[in-house]
Amino acid sequence: MTKDNSISKNKKNLEKSLNRIYEIYKDISFNADEISKYRCPYKNAKSQCTANFQCRNQYFENDKQIEPICIGSDKLNYRSAWHVDQPIKND
Amino acid sequence: MFEHEGLLKEFQWVTKESEKKHIGESIAKTSLDMQEISFALIQGDNESVDKLTKENLDKGISANEILDNGLLNGMSIVGVKFRDNIIFVPEVLISARAMKAGMVHLEPILSASGIEPLGTILMGTVKGDLHDIGKNLCIMMLRGAGFTVHDLGVDTSPEDFEDAFGEHEPDIIGMSALLTTTMPNMGRTIQHFEDVGLREEVRLMVGGAPVTQEFADEMGADAYGESAVDAVDRAKEQVALLKDLKS
Repeated sequence: MTKDNSISKNKKNLEKSLNRIYEIYKDISFNADEISKYRCPYKNAKSQCTANFQCRNQYFENDKQIEPICIGSDKLNYRSAWHVDQPIKND
Repeated sequence: MFEHEGLLKEFQWVTKESEKKHIGESIAKTSLDMQEISFALIQGDNESVDKLTKENLDKGISANEILDNGLLNGMSIVGVKFRDNIIFVPEVLISARAMKAGMVHLEPILSASGIEPLGTILMGTVKGDLHDIGKNLCIMMLRGAGFTVHDLGVDTSPEDFEDAFGEHEPDIIGMSALLTTTMPNMGRTIQHFEDVGLREEVRLMVGGAPVTQEFADEMGADAYGESAVDAVDRAKEQVALLKDLKS
């Protein structure tokens, strides 16, 4: 194989891989839109709140706790509880 | 075969037969080094992904192998876990950050192969607004599509956007807002770019839950992204338009 052919094949393979990343991300994005209709997107798998703003559904069990627990019901509209103009973290 | 115990455990979350076959076969043919990268990415361990990617490139492993056998295999499992509600948006974004840590080392190789970024984008949530998850998903999508994206974070003032414009010379500035009360700050940022004479130098895009096409038009934005996927299509259009306008 000539050098030019090798570069061209390499480029094609890389493009194929990048397209696969995009397809995975696209699926993730569609799923995120769906899941966010009923579950707050800031709530992680451990039911901790990862938002950097205050929310009425945040529950701190003790003073040292960094990530509050989300006590919101996934059946309710979570957005009305957000206070997205009030920071709870410095960074 | 699976040499990495942690990855094997993660693979157990893949339960659909067709996916088990496809992802399983893809992982089974890879080396332990690649499986370590996949595992670190699933864990969202960006420091390990960064280190392992660099080490493997230094050892002479090709960018394509790292991308396919390390990063992509890991992200495939992340996608399955997310779809099946094993993990949620925060975990996905942490894995996407780990993906970026690996991609940083691969970008020069992509570029040398003739694959250039589609364009440069600055993204920020506007002044007074601290919500970021929509913006972060959008950034993930834009990076996945091949854009270089600089994240300005939340509570971004018009002056912050202007300073970052000077630093990165982006093709597009993307603004996000969640609140109806902060939405007008998108318009103020657009006006600021008019005032400082930079309006023609960059395309301005807006998005966010309360934002509509009508509102975007009213503010004088160049484009509105209805969703993260839509934002990618609009961004591609805007980059092409900017090239035409500048040529």
